[in-house]
Amino acid sequence: MDVVKTLTDKLSIEQVKIELLNTAYGYHHTFLQRLDPRTLFLWYLVFGVVPFFIHSTPVLIGLAAFLVVLTIMAKVSPLIIFILTLGLLTQGGSYLIVGLFFGGNVTAMLPLLKLTLKLSVISMASIVVFCSMSPEKLSDGLLKIGVPGQVSFSIGYAYRMLPTLVEEYHHIFLSYRLRGKKPAKKGLFYSRHLFYYIKLLIKSFYPLMLSVAKRSRTMVEALESKGSLYGFNHPKVKQLKLQHLTIKRRDVLFFSLSISYFIALIWLS
Amino acid sequence: MTHQLTMTDVTFTYPGQNSPQLKNVTLSIKEGTFVAIMGGNGSGKSTLCKCLNGLIPHYYVGDYAGKTTVNGHDTTKVSVSELSKHVGYVYQDFENQLVSPRVLDDACFAPLHFGLSDFKRRGERALELMAISHLKDRYIWQLSGGQKHLLALSGILSLDPDIIIVDEPVSQLDPFHAEVIYKQLQALHQQGKTVIVIEHHASFVARYAEEVILMCEGEVLAHTPVREALENDALLSQAGVYPPEVTMMARAMHWHDQPLPLTIDEAESYFKPLLKQVEENKVEIAPEENNDVAVQLQGVSFHYQSLEKTTHQVFDQLDLTLYQGERVALIGNNGAGKSTLMKLLTGQMKPKAGQIEIFNEDISQQSPEQLAEYVTYIHQNPEHMFIDDSVEKDIGYFLKMRHVKDLDQRVARLLERFDLTSLKSRDARLLSGGQMRRTSLAIGEGMSPKLLLLDEPTATLDMAAKQHVKRLMQSQTGEEKTIVMATHDVSLVFDWASRVIVLNNGQIIFDGLPEQLVGDYHVLNKAGIILPEIVELSRRLKLPLMKNQQMFIDCLQREVM
Repeated sequence: MDVVKTLTDKLSIEQVKIELLNTAYGYHHTFLQRLDPRTLFLWYLVFGVVPFFIHSTPVLIGLAAFLVVLTIMAKVSPLIIFILTLGLLTQGGSYLIVGLFFGGNVTAMLPLLKLTLKLSVISMASIVVFCSMSPEKLSDGLLKIGVPGQVSFSIGYAYRMLPTLVEEYHHIFLSYRLRGKKPAKKGLFYSRHLFYYIKLLIKSFYPLMLSVAKRSRTMVEALESKGSLYGFNHPKVKQLKLQHLTIKRRDVLFFSLSISYFIALIWLS
Repeated sequence: MTHQLTMTDVTFTYPGQNSPQLKNVTLSIKEGTFVAIMGGNGSGKSTLCKCLNGLIPHYYVGDYAGKTTVNGHDTTKVSVSELSKHVGYVYQDFENQLVSPRVLDDACFAPLHFGLSDFKRRGERALELMAISHLKDRYIWQLSGGQKHLLALSGILSLDPDIIIVDEPVSQLDPFHAEVIYKQLQALHQQGKTVIVIEHHASFVARYAEEVILMCEGEVLAHTPVREALENDALLSQAGVYPPEVTMMARAMHWHDQPLPLTIDEAESYFKPLLKQVEENKVEIAPEENNDVAVQLQGVSFHYQSLEKTTHQVFDQLDLTLYQGERVALIGNNGAGKSTLMKLLTGQMKPKAGQIEIFNEDISQQSPEQLAEYVTYIHQNPEHMFIDDSVEKDIGYFLKMRHVKDLDQRVARLLERFDLTSLKSRDARLLSGGQMRRTSLAIGEGMSPKLLLLDEPTATLDMAAKQHVKRLMQSQTGEEKTIVMATHDVSLVFDWASRVIVLNNGQIIFDGLPEQLVGDYHVLNKAGIILPEIVELSRRLKLPLMKNQQMFIDCLQREVM
């Protein structure tokens, strides 16, 4: 069970918090992070939607290769990549089992594998875009393209609360453990213990809700006195807030190069 | 000077309540004064301040009568946002007042949302005023409590209001950071701003404020200069406020007719002439013989990863032995490792190297649930311990999980002992600070531990609640129970502890009797420890260490005779 032990060590709630925040705020300064949010939105519109309608395997493989490069460039957190691969592998595996069970052979699997490829292209595109935008950038970008101020503020605020909430959740979970009782028997494959933990993980959400409700009162009052009601949708405020957003040469370059690669792929196949 | 704030016959009732929270309040505050509002819990202090910044009546829809003006504006006629250019309000739970993830963005938030084109400069200036410019690129979750409070202040200063209201600055901060906040408020006051603080701690009021407003049950009892208020014992006790310790002692002795001392400097010159000769006092130290080991740490190292993925070393090869029946106080500044040490003892964190034994058993293979059978940790923030929806159920949770037979009787006894019976069906999160703290202590007591770990048991309490908790702690000293308490409240240390350990950057820089600590300037400075007034005074008067007021009074009476 050493594997389980090291895995649980790595997957502590503390670690998850660190990964989440790193993904959100990206402490490393990558090329993609310097792009304007609008460029990324437009890019995502192409690379996150168009692959749905592409059926040629070579094009999809070409796109996947391109996105792997971008994923590396974006320095995506290992945790996210782990979750993605896990998802894709289990999906592929289940196809195989189901396919064989119903008397199919490997050729029946191919179209399904293609779907998996398609999905992985789209997921990688999403990861690249969202890891390259801090919540502030995302909300500024949304505001610029006409989303109401309240919505874009909520995104930034949700991220500001994220570490606090994860921490609070962690405290509550520990309080359950520090006063609870673990089943004496481990059960088959630790099943009793697993069940105990899962139960606590779910139970911990209820106290969390209550304390969040308590916090929000001060926050709403503070927002009111900080002029947010006046400012969220005022054109002058919007202009001040967004004056730092400019489309630069690198935005044009990045977008046009990606698109030409895409077109070249289609043309070649 | 003009009257900047006026309230005329203001009465306010919160929706759903039968009696008003403010009753016919009439007062006026002049421009540029430093005012402290004092009063017990529920006396209407916060409600009063919410009238001044317009949240009442704009935001709270209760019954409002009377008239409030701020810089000549009637608060019913102008909006809350408009008023915030005149009045800035820092909440007691100031953390929730910070709305942006980044420090500079938060400081700029208000001017930006009012459409002021120099928002950035205003934010930067506000950070400069509070001396936290160096933090401007940080994320708020990287800040310490004191820094967050300064940021909350910057957030309101960016609009350059003339009036600043701060709700209980000391309650969430340690004495060292509280002093920093007061220094900053004093600087703002010297620049001509009106500063209003809600404060329980008379020693801060005595040193910084000019006027005091005493409140009781929604009424203004008095609005006088500081000296007049703090000397008037009858009035103070009616308002449920304790005067500074030095004032209480001088009154208890009343030897001469000079004005009573309010601050420690005044106390020094007040008491000095009374002492005839000063003899060098030696501290007698009788180390207790005790060989039953409760906790033993050997070569314990611990580190964790910070958000920037750098490793932060907390302990490196720490050795420590605690004996059964000891009352150990752990002191040291924030980040010294006090909480980490306690969490290692509960098993919620595992050391990266070294060994921890509790009652001669290695705990590395024990889960937190197993350790909970004899080790109890009481969290610094009581709210983190509330996992059920009523006080009664929260206290009973541990016992219920263990299918204890006489569950109901035991819970009833605990409720009785901690004075919680009338609150038993309330949700613990909605209680007052003192009530929440008592609930968390009752939860701990219900686990009948052999090793009790208390993290800051008196933080965030007003004076009356603090006295209550202190009494409970005194009655806790059973023969076998070992108690470890992390605290900033040094007066509690001298009054209660049998052994003091000072941690600094994960190292033990002092381990001994409380009496020995007083003379160790090096340790006191290094760990940023501010001595309680009585201890400081007895040091300045070259008296033996006085642990509490009674001791001081007795000693002085002997000296004078």
